[in-house]
Amino acid sequence: MTITRRDVLLGATAAAALLPLAARAQTSEVVIGATYPLSGAGAQVGVDAQRAFETAIDIINNDQDFDLPLAKGVGLPGLGGAKIRMVYADHQGDPQKGRAEAERLITQEKVCAVLGSYQSAVAVTVSQICERYQVPFLSADNSSPSLHRRGLKYYFRASPHDEMFSTAMFDFLDAMKKKGAKANTLALFHEDTIFGTDSANAQTKLATERGYKIVADIKYRANSPSLSAEVQQLKAANADVLLPSSYTTDGILLVKTMAELGYKPNAILAQAAGFSEKALYDAVGDKLEGAITRGSFSLDLAAKRPMVGKINDLFKAKSGKDLNDNTSRQFMAMIVIADAINRAKSTDGEKIRDAMAATDIPGEQTIMPWKRVKFDDMGQNNDADPVLLQYLGGKFVTIFPAQAAVAEAVWPMK
Amino acid sequence: MDKNFAARRRRDLIIAAVLAALAALAPLFVKNVYIQNILVLTLMYAALSQSWNILSGYCGQISLGHALYFGIGAYTTELLFTKFGVLPWFGMLAGGGIAAVIAMGLGYPFFRLRGHYFVIATIVIAEIGLLLFQNWEWAGAALGITIPVRGDSWLKFQFMRSKLPYFYFALALCCLAWFVTWWLEDSKWGFWWRAVKDNPEAAESLGVVVFNSKMGAAAVSAFLVAIGGAFYAQFLAYIDPESVMGFQFSLLMALPAVLGGIGTLWGPVLGAAILIPMTELTRSYIGGSGRGVDLIVYGTLIVLISLALPQGLVSLFSRSKAKGATR
Amino acid sequence: MGLLYGLIAVGLALIFGLMDVTNFAHGEFLMIAMYASFFLFAFFAIDPLLSAPLVAAAMFVFGAVVYLLIVRFAMRAKANAGMVQIFTTFGLAIVMRGLAQLFFTPDYRSIPQSWLGGKTVSIAGIFLPEPQLVGALVSIAAFAGLYFFIHRTDFGRALEATREDPGAVALVGIDKNRVFAFGWGLGAALVGLAGAIMAVFFYIYPDVGASFALIAYVTVALGGFGSVFGAFAGGIIVGLVEAVTALMLPPSLKSVGIYAVYLLVVFIRPRGLFGSM
Repeated sequence: MTITRRDVLLGATAAAALLPLAARAQTSEVVIGATYPLSGAGAQVGVDAQRAFETAIDIINNDQDFDLPLAKGVGLPGLGGAKIRMVYADHQGDPQKGRAEAERLITQEKVCAVLGSYQSAVAVTVSQICERYQVPFLSADNSSPSLHRRGLKYYFRASPHDEMFSTAMFDFLDAMKKKGAKANTLALFHEDTIFGTDSANAQTKLATERGYKIVADIKYRANSPSLSAEVQQLKAANADVLLPSSYTTDGILLVKTMAELGYKPNAILAQAAGFSEKALYDAVGDKLEGAITRGSFSLDLAAKRPMVGKINDLFKAKSGKDLNDNTSRQFMAMIVIADAINRAKSTDGEKIRDAMAATDIPGEQTIMPWKRVKFDDMGQNNDADPVLLQYLGGKFVTIFPAQAAVAEAVWPMK
Repeated sequence: MDKNFAARRRRDLIIAAVLAALAALAPLFVKNVYIQNILVLTLMYAALSQSWNILSGYCGQISLGHALYFGIGAYTTELLFTKFGVLPWFGMLAGGGIAAVIAMGLGYPFFRLRGHYFVIATIVIAEIGLLLFQNWEWAGAALGITIPVRGDSWLKFQFMRSKLPYFYFALALCCLAWFVTWWLEDSKWGFWWRAVKDNPEAAESLGVVVFNSKMGAAAVSAFLVAIGGAFYAQFLAYIDPESVMGFQFSLLMALPAVLGGIGTLWGPVLGAAILIPMTELTRSYIGGSGRGVDLIVYGTLIVLISLALPQGLVSLFSRSKAKGATR
Repeated sequence: MGLLYGLIAVGLALIFGLMDVTNFAHGEFLMIAMYASFFLFAFFAIDPLLSAPLVAAAMFVFGAVVYLLIVRFAMRAKANAGMVQIFTTFGLAIVMRGLAQLFFTPDYRSIPQSWLGGKTVSIAGIFLPEPQLVGALVSIAAFAGLYFFIHRTDFGRALEATREDPGAVALVGIDKNRVFAFGWGLGAALVGLAGAIMAVFFYIYPDVGASFALIAYVTVALGGFGSVFGAFAGGIIVGLVEAVTALMLPPSLKSVGIYAVYLLVVFIRPRGLFGSM
């Protein structure tokens, strides 16, 4: 028999029809990378992050009855039910190692997206590498505002950054002042890292704009052996409100030193980090009754949205801890990236990027108090509303903004 | 004796040339970027350690503060580039020059110190440098400097994905550091240093000459390390004080030389060739567990090598050679 | 605070200063001691103040064992003894951190309630936190004890003699290893004491030692190697300089003052303030 043109065309169409099937069969597994400090000073956060990602993957890979993207059904339907597998890499808080590990994840482990990274300095190099290889990088928990302003196409952040957080803090102060609370003078206390510097810059700017007086601006060396000299200065300035930007270690030392030196401001309004870690409250919770921290997450949401409580139980079973500011953001990062991969129907970096850019998840389908997840052209989600939480009677209570609050703020703190 | 010495030097030079040629061909076989990355780092640390070895090994002035020069090289290059548009090639030389001048300035009071006092002084001065940069707003303070990478360019010495240019630069730097060491071994300076190490009292009679040679060693060592720092900054395209001036760099410069054989020509190269891949691989493949196992493995190896081979891995070779000779 | 730095440094002064052995794992010794008093508190509810002697005793054994198993061999090295010591103890420090992370997890620990924690004595308007006050007293006692021990007992003399001339003491029948193992044990026990006091007001995690190690080295070197009194004085000076610098410069630069004073002192007196070596 002679082969006609038509036969060839038919054959070609058949082959073309078969191709996606073959491709689908190959991608029964979607690999995502995560780079965190898994040894060294930040190791605790990295290890907790692993548990948060595992919880999210459990929900995506198995059939669970939650109103989250991808919870129902098995795996990613857009990729024929492919399951997600995580590969973790340890960057030890070092930008060079973060860069090398990101490159390894992309080229060796063939990950189609990277999550990270806790320390902002590492996020800088990791996102650069992702940009070069055209693989999306989703900042789960970096809050430095400079990160999304570098004109990177493959950078995304679903959670708020420090300027958004600080704005919420000052909105709250304005509201308290209207109610007659004494909150005119501020003391900034921040570490000498990217996180501390960015946070303090944002706070200084807002304070000037809104007519607050900064009576002390204390920059200290992270992981100092002693903070007595710093606290003496805070005490001397005696501001109404103390605004610390510190990680767990320095946070514990700060609170202990304050108690020892008898310094007590009207309110502590913290830029999360250490002040949303359970370890800090285990250590010095009794001295922090009434302390306020910004957060992107609140367990109070469980009352309105029961799934939050259930997911918290799942996480607790794995880690022995409640979800907190960091782990909730890590959990959401996993859901957001999985949703984008699912819609992209591909593990190709560019397609995932486009899908990410088109992300639109309503707030109710998250575990966060956010309005929605939608990225602007710099990759920032501006609808991620922060909340303020007050530590009362051994747990956090949402006090701001009004629509999320379950209680009035106690002012001044005890 | 002299004849042997000359013969050994010629042999070393030939071995080095062969090794360099082989290394230059390596990228033909290694296409994997992750491995290429390890190779670049290995060569860089070999070069750094070789430079460190000039002052600390040959001169016997153990410095654990070379991160200062590394950071100065990195910062000079990137500040000149991002603030004034000076190409990194010139910035690199400027950084080297500044580092060398600082090294000589510090050498003047530092060389009077002995033993632990000297070591601690070097740690402390690097730590001061770190703190100053951490608080220097104009230089980016803690935010560091991001180097804008806009496509491949030899002029700006930046490349998007390719590791090869970095690889060859690191290789060249490594060869340069090795060659300088090789050349110094047989110079007047080298002779004085050996004399000082063998017999400090006798050498004191040489006084000024020895002092000057030490200053020279400090300058050369700092210059080369600063070039390494500039290279690292270009390679990473981002620097912040902790990541270019941290104490760990001072240690990482010293470790290869110590493990390989301090004060020897081949020690740093050998040490780096073993240490750096080991560090990277243990972290990549065991570190992901988050349980510190990688640290245990890494630390144990360091303890075992330092205890078993106090003269470094190089002694394995000379020992087997000595045996061969007696036979 | 200065006396506390002194307390941390006193163990190092013995090991580093008197026996002339570099110990880069000093911070990790402190970390282990802090964990020890944390666990004694967490499981048996023993207040750190009470457990301090227990911790010190345990650290004594630990120090002696580390010497016998590892450091002894490092000191035997014929070549590059200094470098071998530095890097052996440095490797040991990394292993100890790794082990701490493996067994104790990287979680931050802290002792929330203790007899001393958070209490303050106010004398003439100056606030003196009790833990620091007790730490200072313990520190003075430890220094006095060590001073007496080194200068007034046979063992102290044996220790000094062993350092100066190991060959000669062997002739008189002193076993160098026993003397040094005892010295390491004692040094570690003093660190244990420091750790127990520190645990009251500091947080504990595998890398905690790093914050203190460099200050301890500087303290010992500032006072001068080989001098117990020097380490004591060094501690006080470091504490004072830190407080003064923090007032004059941004607090994030306060360590610069300490380092600058160290450099200044050794430029003028290359053997530290009271050093004999």
